[in-house]
Amino acid sequence: MSQSAAVATCRYSPGKLDDVLEFLKRARGELMELRKVRVWRARVEIYDVNGERFDVLDIGYPDRDVVELLRSIGTSFKPEFIHQPIQRDFKEFKTGRRFPWAEDRIL
Amino acid sequence: MASVQDPDGKMNDANERDPYNNNSYGTLVDDGYIPVDLPILDVDDFNDRVIRGYEDGSAEKKLPADLAVARSVIPAGTATLRDFSYVAPEIPEYITEECTGCMDCVTLCPDTAILGKVVGEEDWQKRMDQIEDKEARDLFAKQWAEPTKYYAGPKKKTGEGGKFSIIIDPSKCKGCAECVTVCDDDALKMIPKTDEIMNDLKQIHRTFKEFGPSDERFVSDKLLIDMMLKEETHIYVGGAGSCAGCGEGTALRMMCSATGVKYKNEWGIIAATGCNTVYTSTYPYNPYLVPWSNSLFENAPAYAMGLRMRWDQKGWGDKPVWCLGGDGAMFDIGFQSLSRLLASGLNVKVFVLDTQVYSNTGGQASTSTFMGQNTKMSFHGKKIGGKLERRKEIAQIAMMHPRTFVAQTTCAHVNHFYRCVIDALEFDGPALISCFTTCQPEHGVADNMATDQAQLAVDSRAFPLLIYDPRKGDTIRQRLTLQGNPAMKDDWWTNPKTGEVVDFIDFCRSEGRFAKHFDREGSPSDLLELAREERLENWHQLQELAGMLGGGAPKPEKGPAKSEKQASPKPAAAKSVKANGDSLPMGLSVGSKIKYNDGERWIDGVLRSDDPVVLALADNTKIEISRALLRNACDAGIVRSQ
Repeated sequence: MSQSAAVATCRYSPGKLDDVLEFLKRARGELMELRKVRVWRARVEIYDVNGERFDVLDIGYPDRDVVELLRSIGTSFKPEFIHQPIQRDFKEFKTGRRFPWAEDRIL
Repeated sequence: MASVQDPDGKMNDANERDPYNNNSYGTLVDDGYIPVDLPILDVDDFNDRVIRGYEDGSAEKKLPADLAVARSVIPAGTATLRDFSYVAPEIPEYITEECTGCMDCVTLCPDTAILGKVVGEEDWQKRMDQIEDKEARDLFAKQWAEPTKYYAGPKKKTGEGGKFSIIIDPSKCKGCAECVTVCDDDALKMIPKTDEIMNDLKQIHRTFKEFGPSDERFVSDKLLIDMMLKEETHIYVGGAGSCAGCGEGTALRMMCSATGVKYKNEWGIIAATGCNTVYTSTYPYNPYLVPWSNSLFENAPAYAMGLRMRWDQKGWGDKPVWCLGGDGAMFDIGFQSLSRLLASGLNVKVFVLDTQVYSNTGGQASTSTFMGQNTKMSFHGKKIGGKLERRKEIAQIAMMHPRTFVAQTTCAHVNHFYRCVIDALEFDGPALISCFTTCQPEHGVADNMATDQAQLAVDSRAFPLLIYDPRKGDTIRQRLTLQGNPAMKDDWWTNPKTGEVVDFIDFCRSEGRFAKHFDREGSPSDLLELAREERLENWHQLQELAGMLGGGAPKPEKGPAKSEKQASPKPAAAKSVKANGDSLPMGLSVGSKIKYNDGERWIDGVLRSDDPVVLALADNTKIEISRALLRNACDAGIVRSQ
């Protein structure tokens, strides 16, 4: 996937994850179907199927709040390993999990 | 029978609503209606009156009661007249300079909405020159690429390269973005629809259809993925009513293509009720160009047997009959009928669309449903976390029927899929192919995830690939191959990119149907741990059947289960053969002295040859058998080493 400048960027402040989630909600329409996410030490890149992306700065895999951030965009990842350091620059995960129709069923 | 109300216009021609005639018969090139010699069905009338009524929205008010509805008949391929150009806000754009001609997008589109064509450059120029409208010509010329596969390679060999093009049929695309997702070359991207873009795409699609067929010199029969460059493979046309990105749609298209490449439209389908029958026969739209019939959930195999016998009576023994059904029909409601078919030895091919749930009727659990899956009838609540039963394995059951070809595959494994279909067709007897397919709304995955999830289902052992071909030998291990699965000798596959083990729980993490099994910290429930063990046990069973777990081979390590509730996988029975299944048993080699029991006495002998195996006995008889039979004879104590 080719690299280009981020479509939109947001900066995370510790304890203020809600601001990031609000940004993602507002700006979501700027991207197409989400495809994957790259989690760096201090940056999260959210890619759509076209390779366009949002950057969330000052948050990375060591941060506790990254778990909630990744969940909010349907990322498939193992929370127990997400904070572990790695040799590579970033961790990459696919997005695409949705609520199934069964989610709200009541017998 | 009522007659055509508007005799001046045919639905297969351009009209005010369809100025570029995108909704017309023929997929790569234009074609006419497909006539039938039946007194009860007038194809012209149906297509030009009934279809028109449904397309312009006047049907429910203006169409009189219809004999075709009463008789449940629809002409072939009417779905091609259906316009879906309004259903999605986005559509793919083709970026020619990035395209490598891999054909993944064409193959994996569920809606026959991405079409490919290759034409020799000399012929291409001639055809281009015939396009009188300069604007249309320039627009169309931009759609052609020169990928090495079709251009530089052949040019070096023959002096002429092939120009390659992919176009989007804007009247059939539902905007799922599957094509963009499977493209590794950034040659497709989704763009918002505008009037200008849609007008261009419609014009390009029209020119594409008038441009003539692919030049078969550039279509390699050895490359199975190229088959969709041929018109005769497009048996399943666009316009079916399946959801955007439907995994089943792709599976049906690919099955039809692999059958059509050899048999064209000289074959038929009997479909069991299920999602597949709903979206392929939503009146008055039918995407099939071959005879197709549906009766009930429970009797499709019996119906297919009857059709097979009738066709054989008519001397049509060379025309294949496919019997389609979902897991609800084949694992559950029609299971006894399926078993009867497989036991009959009749030359009927069964294709199972395994979504692990009754997709159409509201998402009830089937016996194919994974343990822990949240469905209607296995609702995830406070006390019971989804389905508690184990998954039934239709492939293993089918393998135990007499002389039956069996395969498990997915559309993500294109060559494996095509090989399975072609081998099943070549097999002279019953065959069953079970294909993993996504049901996006029931699985809880995005519309563009059909291929990704099918790949992960195999990588995580949720749904292993297999081919069981009775022609390959006398024993199960000779007949069964697990080729295509990653890390075949291991319990789980390790992703080399991340270094992380991929197991069934990783598959579950990626789909909403298992979401309630993970707590706030992301830890899986005990039931999901059991489900992982159950999947591993199934994998071990397949490994054992395929001869990969023998006495000399170490038993695979058990996964790090949290729960102790599940019994450990049973160790494979000790065998005196090597894991590869080809070596001689009991350390025998040419010249070894043996004893042979003929049922009454032991006779001394010697192993005279090992390929084929020849046993020369003291009573001057020679026994020539396969290695597999020798192995069986040793296991049974009929042959001993002296």
